[in-house]
Formats: sequence, C-alpha cells, structure tokens
Amino acid sequence: MQPYVAVLALAGLVGAVVAAVYAVSSVLAPPGTVDAGPFLSGARPREHALSRYHARWYAVTMVFLAFDMEMVFMFPWALVVASMGAKAVVEMFLFLALLLVGVLYAWREGAFRWA
Amino acid sequence: MRESPVWAVVALPFALALLVYAAAALDAVLAGGGFRDPLYEGVRLLVQQRRRTLAPDRLLTRIGVVALPLAAVLGAVVVPLGGRAVADLTVGVVWFNAMEVVVWGAVWLAGWGANSAYGLVGGYRFVAQGLAYELPHMFALITAALGAGSLRVDEIAHAQGGLWFAVWMPVAFAVYLLSAVAMAFWGPLGHPAGNDLAGGAAVELTGPDRLVFLAGRYLLLVVAAAMAVPLFLGGDGGPLLPGWLWTLLKTGAVLAVLVWSRQWLPALRMDRFMTAAWTVLIPATLLQMLVVGIVVLD
Amino acid sequence: MGVREVLARYAAARPRPFVVAAADGTRARLAVEAELRRRGWRAAASPAETGLVVVCGEPGAELAEAVEVVWRDVPGPRARVDLPGGTSPEDVARALDGAVERLADLDAQRSDAQARAAAGFWTPESADEHEGMGHGHAEMGDEHGGMGNGQAGMGHGHGGHDMGGHAHHMGAPAGLAMAERADDRDGLRLDVLHVPLGPVLNAWPAGLRVDLSLQGDVVQAADVTVVERGGGGSFWGGRPVARRLDSVGRLAEVAGWPAAARRAAELRDAVLDGRSPGLDAFARWIGRSWALRWMTRGVGTVTPELAGRYGLPEGDVAARLDGWLAQIDGRAVPRDEPSGAALAVLPELLDGVELGEARLIVASLDPDLSGGADA
Repeated sequence: MQPYVAVLALAGLVGAVVAAVYAVSSVLAPPGTVDAGPFLSGARPREHALSRYHARWYAVTMVFLAFDMEMVFMFPWALVVASMGAKAVVEMFLFLALLLVGVLYAWREGAFRWA
Repeated sequence: MRESPVWAVVALPFALALLVYAAAALDAVLAGGGFRDPLYEGVRLLVQQRRRTLAPDRLLTRIGVVALPLAAVLGAVVVPLGGRAVADLTVGVVWFNAMEVVVWGAVWLAGWGANSAYGLVGGYRFVAQGLAYELPHMFALITAALGAGSLRVDEIAHAQGGLWFAVWMPVAFAVYLLSAVAMAFWGPLGHPAGNDLAGGAAVELTGPDRLVFLAGRYLLLVVAAAMAVPLFLGGDGGPLLPGWLWTLLKTGAVLAVLVWSRQWLPALRMDRFMTAAWTVLIPATLLQMLVVGIVVLD
Repeated sequence: MGVREVLARYAAARPRPFVVAAADGTRARLAVEAELRRRGWRAAASPAETGLVVVCGEPGAELAEAVEVVWRDVPGPRARVDLPGGTSPEDVARALDGAVERLADLDAQRSDAQARAAAGFWTPESADEHEGMGHGHAEMGDEHGGMGNGQAGMGHGHGGHDMGGHAHHMGAPAGLAMAERADDRDGLRLDVLHVPLGPVLNAWPAGLRVDLSLQGDVVQAADVTVVERGGGGSFWGGRPVARRLDSVGRLAEVAGWPAAARRAAELRDAVLDGRSPGLDAFARWIGRSWALRWMTRGVGTVTPELAGRYGLPEGDVAARLDGWLAQIDGRAVPRDEPSGAALAVLPELLDGVELGEARLIVASLDPDLSGGADA
C-alpha cells in the first residue's frame, strides 16, 4: 500500500468512528436540545464571551516566529551534518547564537513575564 | 519509500485503542475509581442529551473537537507501534511535528466556539502553552534526528543499536516527555482545561463532543508516548521478546509515567512557565544538540 | 431489558456529581464528599460535565436561584439531590442511590427532555426579569444596540453563529449585547467581560460571589459580595486543624493537583473522626512541592501596608499555605481566623491578576461564611 493511501485510509477510519459515535448518540440520547447558557457560576452572561482578547504574550509570539522560521533550515540540516562536517555545526550554532541574543534581549525587556 | 503492509493499517487502531483505554483506566484507578470507569463514562456521554450554549459557533467547535483525535491518529502513522509504521515517511519526524501542531488550533477552536468566557480563556491558555513548549519540543525531536542523521523514524530507532538516545541525550529525552504532557494538555500542563476554570477549553462540551474530545486527548498522550520509543528508547530493540512486544511494553511504561505525572505535580501556569521555557529549556536543548552534533562529527 | 435500558443503567452507575454547598451546608458537603470517595465517583466541575446536581445545606433565595440556573443547564439524563444540613452518611448514601434510580428511569428522563425541548430557548431576556417568556428581546436589543456598535460585524463573525431562530440586532446578536470596551492597564482600549466567580463553583467558599471585570484573562476590577451566611457559629468552630485541611484541599484542587486535594480530604475526615494519621507526612509532601511553591510565590501578596490596614498576616499565597501546613502538623498553634479581613482585602489583591491566580488567591484566604445551623 502506498503511504498516502494508508494515511487516507486511517483518516477515513477516524472519520467513520467519529461519525458512528455521533450517530449512536443521536439514536440513544433523550430527544431535543437543551439550550443552556455558558457556565458562569450560576449567573447568566451580560454580554457575548467572544471578545477582543488581551493576549499579553503577544511579544512572545514574535520571538517564537523568528525561531519557527529557523526550524525550516534545521530539519534538512540535521541530515547533512555528518557529511558536511564541522562547518555545518559551526554555521548553525552561530545562527542559533544570534537568535539567542535576541531571546536574551527579549527576556531583559520582560517579554516572557507578565501578570 | 517502502510500501506499508495492509495489516499495519489494521493493527495501529487496535494498538491505539488498547493503550487509550489503559491510560484512561490507569488515571481512574489513581484517582480512586475503578478500571471500568472509562467504559461507564463513555456510555454516559453517549446517551446524554444534546446541549448548546447561546449563539455558539458549532461548526468551529466541532472542527476543533474532531481535529484532536484525527491529528493524533495521523501523527501515529509514522510510529512503528504495531511492529511497523503504517507509513514510514522519509520525513517522519517533520510529519509527526506537523500533526501535533494541529492541536493548537483544535483546542483553541473548541474553547472559543462555545461562546463561554471560561472556555475562551482556556483556549487562549493553550496557545500560550504552545508558545512555551513547542520550540523545546522541536529541538528535542531534531536532536534525535541529528543523532541518527535521518528524519525517518525507523532509521532513528535502529541507529540506537548500541546505546539508547535516552541515555546519552537525557536533556532532550526529558524535554520530550515534558512536551508530550504539554501537547496533550495533561496533568501538570493541563491548565488550558484546568479545574480553576471549571474545565477550561472543555467547559461546555457534552455528550459525543466531550467523548471525542477526551478520547482525542488520551490519543495524543498515547501517540506522544509511543513516539518516545523509536526516538529515544531504542525502538523495538530488546532481548528475548519479539520486537513488537518490546515496542508495546516500552510505550506502556512511558505512558504510565505520563499519566502518573498528574498525581505528582500541580498545574504549571504559563505566566510563570514561559520564562523557564525560554531561558532554561531552550538553551538546555540547544546545548544538548551541540553536544550531539559534535559527537556525530567524530 | 432492551439495549436502551441496559445502557441507561450502565450510564447511571457512575455519575459525575456536581456538588453545590450552601453557607450552612458544610456538614452535608463533607458527608457527600466522603460518600463519593467511598463509591469512587469523581466530581464534576460544570453543568456540562455532570448529570447529577447535589445541593448541600439549605440555600437562601439568591443561591437557590443560581442553583436553578445551573440545574437548567444540565443535559439529561439528570437528577438532583437536596441534602439539608445535618445529614447522616446513611441519608447521603440513600439519596445518591435514589438519584441513580432516577437517572436510569428512561421514561421519566424522556418526558423531562421533551418538556425542556418544548419549553424552548433560553434567551438572555428570559433570564432577566421575565423568566420563560422569551418576548421582549426587541426592546433589549435596542437598549443594547448602541453599546458595541461596529464590533458585532467586525471580527466576531456573528453571521456564522447559531442564532437559535431568534432575530438579532446590530450590537446584540441573539438578544445579548456584545462586550463593551474600556481602557486597560496597558493603555489599550479592549472588550470587558463581566464574569462572576461563585456562588456555584467547584472548590469555592460557600456563600461567596466575586464579580470580575475581565479583559482577556486579566482581572480589571473585582467586587466581593456575600451571597449568604449560615446563622450562629461556624461549622469549623473548635475544629481548626480539619478546617485547614479542608482549605489546603481546595487550594490544591484549584492549583490543578487533584491527588493532593484527595489526600487532604481523607485526612480532614480522619481528623473529624478523632484520628490523625500521617499529618506530618502530608504537610511535608505539600510543603516540599517546588512546583506548587513556584506557582504560588508572589501571588496575592499581602503587603505590610495592606496587612496593617486589614489586620492580616503579611505574605503571598505560598506563605499562607505554609502557615496552614504548620498548623496541620503542629508546628504552629491552630487558630480560627476571622474571615471579615479576608473579604475586605480581596478586591485589592485581585486587581490586575490572571484568572487562575484569582482562584488561587481566593482559595488561599478561604473566607468561612459557614453557619452554625449544624454546628
């Protein structure tokens, strides 16, 4: 079996099992739908919960993106280290050191701390 | 790329189901219940009435809920759990990594979609958690790949004939275990679904939604534990017993440790953990990678 | 028996009870917790998770209303158990057995479900003054129409929401207003949510409600309300060690450490029975947890200034926990602490903290509003 066929077969299987769970539930469950409020310790909401969220870690996302792009190089790099020799290791860790300086700066600026 | 045997496609779901049940039962027993509790709970959720909150985004909620088990099972295709991997991709490690990142979206959608304040906060907590654990996790994966000079899971497993990677890459192994707990938002890294938010991202899930969501969470835990075996614990290598049994035994042992971690530690909040992740875990994993890189050169 | 009966019986065998305590319901709550532990039933933390609501004590009007809201939100099959104070373990066991019977009663559950489906939608209006009417949302919509203008259409995607067949208005989809904006402490203008903690909440002091204004998960303002108090002396009067074990257990629960919470509850019940096994080992175990210390240090710090103003000991959540542990293992003299100061200092401690920290702070002060009706 080709790998992609196997992957599709498994995805199909998961889909079938999940669909079966929902189907069995719809047969067995008591009729109708309960219209509930969101749980608020016994109160009803005063406004919709979907709001612009104060994500105080947004500075971390920026640093994260820098590293995440770097991962694109890192996966192929892992394959060629043995054949490329010391040069590959030195270059990669120089690059990482630069990024780490960035992390150090972000840390000093308090990007990883909040509350 | 090697052809995958048909039986592997059949064996994998059975192995996963078995381990998921074992994990859920172990957790129930540790919490003072019985080993049949997951069965009771599953039936209870199956016969539960449908329920919805005010003005929810049901499509997105359901996408989030279903994506959880789907991502876990698709991540498992590169894991040689039933003896051989269903699809032994040349970029197996990258594939596993990609599937695991789907969880970020899944948990966030499940928390966001219910239009509930607690769920919303829980969903965002997972995104913050992702920012903390993902990079150390990736570095741990790459360290193992570097040690073997391959991204193919099977080759990584068999590069450990002499010495398990867990032994000479202890930092990478420890970080991997930590990130395994984090991606399944379990125990010490279960704050996104924490008790302080009455269940966080899962607060409004009922019936089949909750069942699929919880099963997906256990699946993630199982798949993460299973992946630790070829990456760090020598794959199916071991004396006397057949290889597939060794794989299963090692997976079970890692899984038991992960499940038990919930008894051991309280929840780690990201407003504290984030600093540690970036200033301790990332430098430590990079140092580990440097050591491995130098060893590989020789 | 048909398949449905078998499954219903199976599903009812291990309910996930949601335990609610009134201010005078401490004794009943302890009896329920002990019985749940004996049966190996795990408690739920939300109406979505549960099918069985257990009300301990006699709630006053306001708490009873909150319990009713939660009860309405519990999906069927559902059962409710009311345990007024002074309940014996046998009474609790009998009441829970009765609930299991009712959960497995297919006919009763089906008619309950049909009645609820026919009762129609829960709407924000019907939750206000006219319960169950579901008319007046046009006025409500207009009333709130001006509040979130420009927000509803942007970025909230309300077109994709399930409106439940109701008309909606700009700024008030499904009859509920969008969040208003306000300045936050970082100089941004962001949506504010009004989220109460309590009175119906897991591991929460009975009778307390804290109304939070949240931006994201940051508390911008906190308002403390005593929903109800029990009459007479506290249940915990003369039982300081057990009380501290109860407090530590609930702090552990909120801190996401169920194993510690469970052990604390076991020891609490043992101490109330006149035994005291392993208190030293317990205090050592909790006290040595570096992770708990890491997560509680610097949270909810009572500064010298606050300590002077409110007559409270100085220190953060970790320090208060250490103080409790010292009382538990006998290093310090156990004492009853008045809860008035804790209530007074709460708004200041909660200002600007994350929601999870807010839960820890409340748990670490654990104001005791329990009454002496059953003491």
